[in-house]
Amino acid sequence: MDKKTVSTIAYLSRLSLNEKNEDKITKDLENIIKFVDQLNEADTKNIEPLASPLEKTAKTRIDNVTAKNRKEVFLERSPKSNEDYFLVPRVVE
Amino acid sequence: MSWETVIGLEIHVQLSTDSKLFSGGSTSFGAEPNTHVDLIDLGLPGVLPVANRGAFHKAIRFGLATNAEINQTSTFDRKNYFYPDLPKGYQITQMALPIVGKGSIKIEVDGEEKIINITRAHLEEDAGKSIHDLFDGETGVDLNRAGTPLLEIVSEPEIANAKEAVAYFKAIRQIVTFLDICDGNMAQGSMRCDVNVSVKKSDDTELGTRAEIKNINSFKFIEKAINFEIDRQIRILESGDSVVQETRLYDSVKNETRSMRSKEEANDYRYFPCPDLLPVVISDNELKEIKDNLPELPDEKERRYVEESNLDSSEAKIIASSKTMANMFEGACSKTNDSKLVANWLVGDISALLNKDNIDLQESKLTSDNFALLIERISDKTISGKIAKSVLEEIWETGNDVDAIIESKGLVQIQDESLLEKIAQTIIDDNPSQVEAFKGGKDKLFGFFVGQVMKETQGKANPQSVNEILKRLLS
Amino acid sequence: MSVQYKTIKELKNMLNEKEISYTELIQETFLNIKNNSELNAFITLNEEESLKKANNLDNSPGSGSLNGIPIAQKDLFCTKDLKTTCGSNMLSNFVPPYSATVIENLENAGCISVGKTNMDEFAMGSSNETSFYGNVQNPWGENLVPGGSSGGSAAAIAAGIVPAASGTDTGGSIRQPASLCGISGLKPTYGRISRWGMIAFASSLDQAGPMARTAEDCALLLNEMCSHDEKDTTSIDEAVPDFTENLNSSIKGLKIGLVKEFDLSKLDNNVVKVFEESKKHYESLGAEFIEISLPNISLSVPTYYVVAPAECSSNLSRFDGVKFGKRCDNPKDLEELYIKTRSEGFGDEVKRRILIGSYVLSAGFYDAYYKKAQQVRRLIKNDFDSAFKNVDIIMSPTTRGAAFEVGSKGDDPIQMYLEDLFTIPANLAGLPAMSIPNGMVDSKPIGLQLIGNFLDESRLLQAAHNFQISTDWHLKTPTGNKS
Repeated sequence: MDKKTVSTIAYLSRLSLNEKNEDKITKDLENIIKFVDQLNEADTKNIEPLASPLEKTAKTRIDNVTAKNRKEVFLERSPKSNEDYFLVPRVVE
Repeated sequence: MSWETVIGLEIHVQLSTDSKLFSGGSTSFGAEPNTHVDLIDLGLPGVLPVANRGAFHKAIRFGLATNAEINQTSTFDRKNYFYPDLPKGYQITQMALPIVGKGSIKIEVDGEEKIINITRAHLEEDAGKSIHDLFDGETGVDLNRAGTPLLEIVSEPEIANAKEAVAYFKAIRQIVTFLDICDGNMAQGSMRCDVNVSVKKSDDTELGTRAEIKNINSFKFIEKAINFEIDRQIRILESGDSVVQETRLYDSVKNETRSMRSKEEANDYRYFPCPDLLPVVISDNELKEIKDNLPELPDEKERRYVEESNLDSSEAKIIASSKTMANMFEGACSKTNDSKLVANWLVGDISALLNKDNIDLQESKLTSDNFALLIERISDKTISGKIAKSVLEEIWETGNDVDAIIESKGLVQIQDESLLEKIAQTIIDDNPSQVEAFKGGKDKLFGFFVGQVMKETQGKANPQSVNEILKRLLS
Repeated sequence: MSVQYKTIKELKNMLNEKEISYTELIQETFLNIKNNSELNAFITLNEEESLKKANNLDNSPGSGSLNGIPIAQKDLFCTKDLKTTCGSNMLSNFVPPYSATVIENLENAGCISVGKTNMDEFAMGSSNETSFYGNVQNPWGENLVPGGSSGGSAAAIAAGIVPAASGTDTGGSIRQPASLCGISGLKPTYGRISRWGMIAFASSLDQAGPMARTAEDCALLLNEMCSHDEKDTTSIDEAVPDFTENLNSSIKGLKIGLVKEFDLSKLDNNVVKVFEESKKHYESLGAEFIEISLPNISLSVPTYYVVAPAECSSNLSRFDGVKFGKRCDNPKDLEELYIKTRSEGFGDEVKRRILIGSYVLSAGFYDAYYKKAQQVRRLIKNDFDSAFKNVDIIMSPTTRGAAFEVGSKGDDPIQMYLEDLFTIPANLAGLPAMSIPNGMVDSKPIGLQLIGNFLDESRLLQAAHNFQISTDWHLKTPTGNKS
């Protein structure tokens, strides 16, 4: 775990680390990763990963429309919007 | 040095479900912005997805129609990235275990058939739309489309050129429209594709470095973008440089592809199983029911049209290749007996009108009822084929009823033999020199007499009767 | 008439006997809340609405089983039109347009949600020190942490302000604060209670549950909190039993497992003594102890600190300043909008976990960390499955010790993570587990953990209730023994 790795994952996570924090966070992450490296002790050959403690299959829904128009309720909760859209700084493609 | 191109397509097909993949939000196109958004589509804190079984059924239809493996247990994963029109910061997709596995589809280029293998087809949710040019300095986000089910169909890299790519895309479009799982509407973005292009020396065994061109939504642009990209890559390779693996955008105005490098920087989607969704299992019975109710596909239709309706194979192929054409044919044939005549008109005059206006049959004013009636009126000799043409043109303009057009314009065919004979006799009497020349062996002049009778009757004479009468009178 | 420290059962009787009106109960509750404001147990109060509901009940008492019972809701549950912050600056202005299923279930049963309780930010923490709204004080001592993440809920009950609270438990967030505050708390089987409307931390581990003064009260609450919910496809579609039904049945012959791998010798002597006494007490009630082995249990904490951050890194991506919550001031472009909003909106512990999560899921590390952890998770679950062939419940201390002082764990995150050593395994395996007060260490309460088999909450509650009707640890309050 080096600063470059930390800055890459910080960017992936869209977080910035100020200089003061960076060393501490790098060290913390290093320790945590070292800590979870204990997992290597386990023999997991041929063990199927467990993604959910419920080993069941999904209930699904039939295809029908149940939602109502709640545009105003949603837009008024957003940090920035006009009468129709959520607004963000112009994206250049 | 000769170069060889390798192309793979990822086609995103919007499935024509009523509601979204994980919510009860409506999928209908063209609504006011942000009015078809459910709590789930907005990704509010605390909401959870519930999978739409209808989307699975549509995906399975595609799998069955392309002889693909169906994974009766399939799972969902999250693909993590930030973008304003991706409300949760991740897209739910099927990475590890897609609903549809390996399959294949037949394409035809310049009369030659080729099989393109399909790697997989998986369900995923569509993103919303970002509107970049409407507001000063800001991008507007409309989440109506967010959560619409997509079937992403991934081909093997087996496509050799732009023409084959277009043929493949058309074949996929044909099959999804016949299966009634997508409306195939390219203008509304119901089908979009990403194209992977790489170039290698012919004798190289390994594939070249590929570039991915994102989000193309017309046949024309697929062809142009691929051809541009092939030229670009060959130019790079010939100058001794190497192609960069990257995502590119096709600019249809400048007809060029350009790098989207900025967006791709450090992209790592961190896929992992979506913990909110357990595996979806399709039972044997369910699969059988979908199989038993699979709509008829073009190849089967073609065969049936030849066997049951006695069409020429070329006619049968044209009609069977388009869903709307086939629907019109079958609709009209259910109301009239002369299927050959129905086919002739579809392939002939109707196709010509469609080409002229550059529209699809479903956009025209012709209904199968009215079309069947037109055929009936030709069969029962109410109107001649020639008059029928003008009736069809009238329908094309107004959509009016066949009988109403015939009556209002007085187009009923003259069947009265004695009346026709009288007119024919008058014409023979008025043109003694032509009669003499005809009898002297100038057979071609027969047409002149027919034409004169038609002119006199404003085209309403039954042409067969006119022929018989003239033959008798001139012999 | 004082309602402080009353149980749900006691309040129900008082209301039924008309010793107190619904309105008086709510008024008293708010008085207690205000008298204890230094605990910082609540982030948002719901006074006006609560009094209105109480007044309605005085006019026409409904038929709900928990009519008029004041309840404190962890501020992680979405409450329609009532601010829901999840302990974070990010949601300091968030007013949900809908309510969590569990909130609806409790309110439909007649509960009155008097306010939203303080918690570790996004439930990430074991001491309530990560809350943006300041730490919560444990009523048992100034400067003591209440545990976390459901620290506000636990403190409010321990102080006798409310008889009931909702909590959530991802790695011990109900049981650990219950232990440190001397109350009873139950984390049900994963899927028992709908997660709809619960702001997700780690979706495959999160589970809501009741917190109260007694196991019996927990059973009353659980009866109403559970439901199969079509909106949560991970909620279990099984009939919900009446959890109060078997409470008083004898536990003679109950087989209790003791985990060989839990090395108690490393714990404080007094903690071990408390545990040993509880064992003796259970023996006197007719239970028998069987040593069991959970060979992979020592890997629970590392497993958890891969799985939980991975899920949280993805779950918290939706907080991006676009649709709801906070946005930074004047972002110059989209990148800045994301980065500044998230860096300002999240506290250090949340950031740390998001970073770990992104790391363990990133290309090249997925197999070594995430996949590996999922495999070990299965081994741990398999260990429990085998153990439950021989025992009915498993018993251990809930925590390594009693409440510690604010700031005493230093800034080494791993020390804090190890706080959840005993509680994490039940989350990984999805099993029900509860904590009940079973002794005092240095005049501070401490809890006993009971872990049950899948969907076997009834048996846990029965074992806990049997303990409580024959001991008085649950009657202790910071101001002395309850009369």
